[in-house]
Amino acid sequence: MYYISENNFSRFLQICDDDYDVFLPVKKGNNRFFTRYTQQIQQPVVGEVRTSDPLKAFFFRAREKVARDFEDGMPAESRKPACIVGVKACDLAGFKVQDSVFINNDYLDPFYKNERENNLIISSDCTCAIDTCFCLALGIKPYPIENFDINLTPLENGYLVEVGSEAGIKIVEIHSQLFTEPNESQKNERDTIREHTKDAVEKNIRNYTIPLKDKFEGIIEKNYESDIWQDEASTCVECGACNAICPTCHCFLLYDQKDEKKMERLRIWDSCMIKDFARVAGGANPREKLWMRLRNRFEKKFDFFPKIADIYACTGCGRCVSACPAKIDIRNVLKRLVHNVYK
Amino acid sequence: MYTSKNPYRPVKTIVLDVITETPTIKTFVLQPETPISFETGQFIEFSVPGCGEAPFTPSSRPSVSDTLEVTIMRVGKVTTRIHELKKNDIVGLRGPFGSRYPVELFKDKEVLVIGGGCGFAPVRSLMYKLFEIRGDLKKLVFRGGCRNPKEFLYRDELESWTNKNDLNIRLTVDKSDGDTVWKHDVGLVTTILGDVGMDVKNGFAVVCGPPIMMKFTTGTLLDMGFREDNIFLSMEKNMSCGIGKCGHCRIGTYYACKDGPVFRYDAIKKFPNIWD
Ligand SMILES: Cc1cc2nc3c(=O)[nH]c(=O)nc-3n(C[C@H](O)[C@H](O)[C@H](O)COP(=O)(O)OP(=O)(O)OC[C@H]3O[C@@H](n4cnc5c(N)ncnc54)[C@H](O)[C@@H]3O)c2cc1C
Ligand code: SF4
Ligand code: SF4
Ligand code: FES
Repeated sequence: MYYISENNFSRFLQICDDDYDVFLPVKKGNNRFFTRYTQQIQQPVVGEVRTSDPLKAFFFRAREKVARDFEDGMPAESRKPACIVGVKACDLAGFKVQDSVFINNDYLDPFYKNERENNLIISSDCTCAIDTCFCLALGIKPYPIENFDINLTPLENGYLVEVGSEAGIKIVEIHSQLFTEPNESQKNERDTIREHTKDAVEKNIRNYTIPLKDKFEGIIEKNYESDIWQDEASTCVECGACNAICPTCHCFLLYDQKDEKKMERLRIWDSCMIKDFARVAGGANPREKLWMRLRNRFEKKFDFFPKIADIYACTGCGRCVSACPAKIDIRNVLKRLVHNVYK
Repeated sequence: MYTSKNPYRPVKTIVLDVITETPTIKTFVLQPETPISFETGQFIEFSVPGCGEAPFTPSSRPSVSDTLEVTIMRVGKVTTRIHELKKNDIVGLRGPFGSRYPVELFKDKEVLVIGGGCGFAPVRSLMYKLFEIRGDLKKLVFRGGCRNPKEFLYRDELESWTNKNDLNIRLTVDKSDGDTVWKHDVGLVTTILGDVGMDVKNGFAVVCGPPIMMKFTTGTLLDMGFREDNIFLSMEKNMSCGIGKCGHCRIGTYYACKDGPVFRYDAIKKFPNIWD
């Protein structure tokens, strides 16, 4: 464990900027967004809660050129690896799902693997909870315990620093002049912050009576024919926002650019809520109705991934709650599904 | 096996020949720059630059690796563009992907192969393979069905199979549409299964065709006494990546592209709406 002062942290970011494209959370209104680092950025929000945009966008990019002109290997991109600062535990938990799809599978996605190997993650503890946070219901603590290179706990005038990988150890060693030994009171401050944030999330879970994950087993199978799906889907406008902002959603489409002269293929985010997602030529569609697609989204998260990879593909980040223009609330859907099983 | 470092990259491929099979079906003879050797039942992703990609099961002999043939029905955007292709055009191929027919299980067994409509394409490659190992099989039975004689795929070739004396074969069309040359059966393919003369308890069955045909045929096979774990089906789902990542082709806890397209019936029967 180390301590780094506010000033030294600014210097550290400048140094990182040489080798990486550094991204920091910056607040706009009530929301936080990852923004490209410049020295002019006065107030990055390293603490607080998750950004509105998901971390996955730096690893499984919304639009990636994956093939060109039939050449083997990967189309060269001129960008530097990304250093993402202020990443929260609910985003890091998304890696369990993304890794299981893109790496721990019969085939490897070289683009994702590259980003996983080369990007630097400087995560941070949540210092508060917003209304939609329910990570603890999924067994995820509101502070990072794995999958980071460096983790920061924001203190009064600096950060408590924990290293979590070889890359983290190396970069701290090289710049050891910026880091000092933390004292006991700084370590205690971290415990206080963590307890305080946990309390805030627990309060959300109580207020909204959100069920905990030990009640999730079988909730899809047992509710497969339930009318909850039709009821919940009745306001859905099929925008796909819930998929796009979710740290675990991984579906995509290979799209060939409309230029016959050259072959150029993109891998772009896709949404299982969109009608054509599973439609086959000739018009047959296993998920013809919108409610079937809503059910499918929950089936993937709470039935498929637990069965194939032993993980719930929801991290309790609450993004889909905020993003849905139809006000479809996953906490509420889970509550209804669990209630139906345990009533 | 798939060898490219980048699983999304298609291999540059030249169209050697285009064969018109029926008004809506053409066979394309393709030569990839680096050979693609597939096993029967596996599929490839076929793309036309500037248009897009779609999955198809090669219909040719799996033992030939420098060229392969795919038989394609014109149904939508990509297949319409594919049908415009001419000799020497450049296209892309990825693969092979997915599971194959487990032909090694068929040794010393009786095997029934049923094809319907465009399902003849994968089945043709399977039959080529089975003809090669015919000596190892106890019995080989083929049943083929199609909507009408005009759309009967590989009609001449299948007619010639009726002369093979080590093959029990029957062909049928839903309607003869006044085709006077048609000398085979008329009626659904399920109506010509009664005389397969097989030891159904120990026999294997392979079915490939449109979902509705597979659904009813599987039902008939089960009624006849075939075991659930001896029935193999080729499942067609919407596919994009072909490698279990894009999420499009899920059936229950499987991806049809990676865990299929060839599935044992008992592995998928528990999932809801498999035929939709
Ligand atoms: C395992 C398998 C084997 C098959 N074997 C055969 C066969 O041997 N013979 C045969 O005739 N048919 C076969 N099919 C069916 C064949 O794949 C479909 O007929 C074909 O996908 C139809 O494509 P289309 O674009 O013409 O149809 P459309 O209805 O226009 O589109 C269907 C799909 O094509 C994809 N697509 C469209 N545009 C693009 C684009 N720009 N980039 C990327 N993707 C795009 C989309 O995913 C879309 O959902 C097989 C299908 C599967 C799953
Ligand atoms: S389903 Fe919603 S709450 Fe769960 S991880 Fe995805 S966006 Fe967050
Ligand atoms: S965000 Fe809401 S409206 Fe949009 S697709 Fe998802 S559930 Fe439907
Ligand atoms: S085609 Fe992408 S997961 Fe099957």
